[in-house]
Amino acid sequence: MSDKVKFTVKDLDLFYGNFQALKKINMSIEQGKITAFIGPSGCGKSTFLKTLNRMNDLIEGVKIEGEVTLDGVDIYKDFDAIMLRSRVGMVFQQPNPFPMSIYDNVAYGPRIHGVKKKSALDEIVEKSLRQAAIWDEVKDKLKKSALAVSGGQQQRVCIARTLAIEPEVILMDEPTSALDPISTIKIEDLATELKKQYTIIIVTHNMQQAGRISDKTAFFLTGEVIEYGDTEQIFNKPVNKKTEDYITGRFG
Amino acid sequence: MNTKNWNNRKMKDGFLRSLIYLATAVTISILFIIIGFILYKGIPGINFNFLTRNWDNKTTFVNVKADASKAGDGAEGYISSLGITVKEGDKNLVITKIEKNSAVHKAVNMKNESYDLKKDDTITKIGADNTEDLSYTDALKLLKDSDGTLRLKVTRPGGGIVPMFVSTIYIILLSLAIAGPIGISAAIYLNEYAKPGRILRSIRFAIQNLAGIPSIIYGLFGMLLFVQTLKMQYSILAGSLTLSILLLPTIISTTEEALKEIPRSYREGSYGLGATKLQTIAKIILPGALPGILVAVILSIGRIVGESAALIFTAGTVAQIPEGLIGGKSSAATLTTKMYWLIKETGDLSSASSIAVVLLVLIILLNIASKMITRQFLKKTGNG
Amino acid sequence: MKKNVSNQNKAGRAVEYKETLFRMIFLLSALVSVLSVIAIIVFVFAKGLRPFFGKDAYSFLSFITGLKWDPNNNVFGILYMIVGSLLATLGAIALGVPIGLLTAVFIAEIAPKKIVSVIKPGIELLAGIPSVIYGAFGLGIIVPLINKISPTGQGQSLLAVICVLTIMVLPTIISLSESSIRAVPKSYREASYGLGASKIQTIFKAVVPAARSGILTATVLGIGRAIGETMAVMMIAGNNIGGLPTSIFSKVRPLTTNIAMEMSYASGRHQDMLFATGVVLFTFIMLVNFTLIRLTKRLGNEGPLR
Repeated sequence: MSDKVKFTVKDLDLFYGNFQALKKINMSIEQGKITAFIGPSGCGKSTFLKTLNRMNDLIEGVKIEGEVTLDGVDIYKDFDAIMLRSRVGMVFQQPNPFPMSIYDNVAYGPRIHGVKKKSALDEIVEKSLRQAAIWDEVKDKLKKSALAVSGGQQQRVCIARTLAIEPEVILMDEPTSALDPISTIKIEDLATELKKQYTIIIVTHNMQQAGRISDKTAFFLTGEVIEYGDTEQIFNKPVNKKTEDYITGRFG
Repeated sequence: MNTKNWNNRKMKDGFLRSLIYLATAVTISILFIIIGFILYKGIPGINFNFLTRNWDNKTTFVNVKADASKAGDGAEGYISSLGITVKEGDKNLVITKIEKNSAVHKAVNMKNESYDLKKDDTITKIGADNTEDLSYTDALKLLKDSDGTLRLKVTRPGGGIVPMFVSTIYIILLSLAIAGPIGISAAIYLNEYAKPGRILRSIRFAIQNLAGIPSIIYGLFGMLLFVQTLKMQYSILAGSLTLSILLLPTIISTTEEALKEIPRSYREGSYGLGATKLQTIAKIILPGALPGILVAVILSIGRIVGESAALIFTAGTVAQIPEGLIGGKSSAATLTTKMYWLIKETGDLSSASSIAVVLLVLIILLNIASKMITRQFLKKTGNG
Repeated sequence: MKKNVSNQNKAGRAVEYKETLFRMIFLLSALVSVLSVIAIIVFVFAKGLRPFFGKDAYSFLSFITGLKWDPNNNVFGILYMIVGSLLATLGAIALGVPIGLLTAVFIAEIAPKKIVSVIKPGIELLAGIPSVIYGAFGLGIIVPLINKISPTGQGQSLLAVICVLTIMVLPTIISLSESSIRAVPKSYREASYGLGASKIQTIFKAVVPAARSGILTATVLGIGRAIGETMAVMMIAGNNIGGLPTSIFSKVRPLTTNIAMEMSYASGRHQDMLFATGVVLFTFIMLVNFTLIRLTKRLGNEGPLR
């Protein structure tokens, strides 16, 4: 079970107009693990993350070649993007709760997917907030605006919102970069907890974070995967010189 | 996700999407129907005369010096003594052609002022004889045989929009001359001087309220204060003063927007060179805000051109070129108020639509002008 | 040396005077707005409230609850006009807001740039068309159409007024809604798509709710425009002399048209009563204005969608 492959990426190229942002990416992402993407700004790690739930479809002028499969099914050919995104959820860099109540934020996804009954929604909302380890902090203010809580709490509400659609994979795009250290630790603990049920892929600038929580790490540079392997190996015995330079902070 | 839900969603999406298209289609077709209707009704009435003539027929007595000795036999209806050609009209004679050195060019009215006769003027009385009492040939003969000073009763046909056009321009100029400086100065105060506090709050409150007051209330107020209390009567000054208040919110807020766009660094640069606040405003801030101020002016012109409720009780609905600022002779209808008057008093939708076509053209020109200024301005700041 | 200094002082003082002088000029200009509002209120209210005081006073109650307007017999009731104004406004908003909002959604979210660059000038033109032209259009197209379907055989009606007012509030609602929809941060859209929402779901469940303050402001502005509109409405309302409207085919006589219809020849008490109608209209407008000011303040404080 633990070594089952969730995503397989084959020869993936991505172009913004004439600019090639991703070059021949090949990667297998395993189920039930945390995979971290690291690398300097503009290396393509976020772009790659977004190809996994087709968020790049929303940007004009993006062209994608190659193959990405989820459980063996080509997500660009045999999937509806909307259907895909309800299986591959996403948490963004900036906490982006909707300007509605906490309850309505978490219930947004289930409602979209056709859940109407109040009792069912109540149950999903509570379960998701508990899973996101924020239930105790917000259970008395579910009807309050999600914008009224702290940044760290907002981000956990956003994670709860993603959990509420019961995805199989959660993509996290630098989920702690806008947060203070204490909130960051909470999110990291949460991610470690969640990997029991979900496949988590996280993009991060923070090397310590990747080292702390991930099982696998991929190092990106100028649109290419330089090295991909077990986190321990990448951090302790990198094969590639560039990876070593980056890990040890000698880069750039 | 089960397929039932999925299909439900697709159906709902499709339904909402068609509602969006439908609403847009409604909006667009309304625009087309309105413009189409106005053009359809109005275009037939638009011609050279409509654009160049006075609105009312104007009847004047003139004296001309006829010279019976001037011989010559031109075409049918040629009158050698006056150097004009006429044709038979409806109980009158219509001038169809005037020679270059014709005596009628030197015609004078009863006040001895020059009154140059024109093509299409009609002669309704020759000396003491009304043309309706004469046969065409008798009338011709009477004219041809005249010698010396001859008194003619001449009617110049109307049906044109010149007076309303001129009045509109007068009111635009007058209103802008009043509201422009006040509005711009107010914007300067609000953006450059005012500090948060009660004065600023009440000024802003007042401006927001002014912006929401409907034209008809302005009309009532203008009538009460300017027309009645200040005894201006229906006049372009009363109308323009009323409009000036109505325009203030537009001018102030548009100018303020423009002032806000000026980077702080410009001001600092100017102060750094030892300029005073006033110098900075005059030399740096106002020139920089000029495009915005122009847009404010254009918006105001648009508003004036379209205004009717505030004008009918302050400037009146008489189709004449105003003389003076106040008093009976300065009462004047703009194009829009005349259009309203035509519909209300005569039910003449066709002539009203012809005026509407002119209005539409003006509005479109104003829209284009303001767009061009904004675009030009954007380009400039984009490069800078 | 000494002289020089005093000269400089003199010059300095002259500059100071000039600065102060202009500062005062700017301040006075800004105060013109305040004075104008006060003057408008004082003049209109003083004249409009006159008939209800003094020894020959007209009962304010019968004015405000009366169903008949007959100046020649000293009967001035405006309740049916108030009802007419409110119904017309309500109808125009009920139709105009959905149509305008959906059009705004099309322009901001769905239409390709090229189409937007054609539609938007059209909407701006619609906003610039004088009300008299809308009246002419109503009289030439809408009234004859209603004439055909109306059981009363009368085209000038509440329905005609609602149609024309709907059209007249559209540009306001479209352009304000559009800009508030455009102001919704991209992150909300991303979040919604990330949860598996479709484009249409994202628009209606995330974007439009986030833009609600702006849309509400647009609606209130629309109400103000509809209730204050005069010239277009006057030509198509029918302007009956009494009686509450019983259906959308009934004639109505909104407050504004009551004023405009008779102002040119009214005198004495009749004229005062027209101003009294203006006072009632003004009160409604003030309500709208206050709501609007509070709304925009809220917008300014929180930002529409933070």
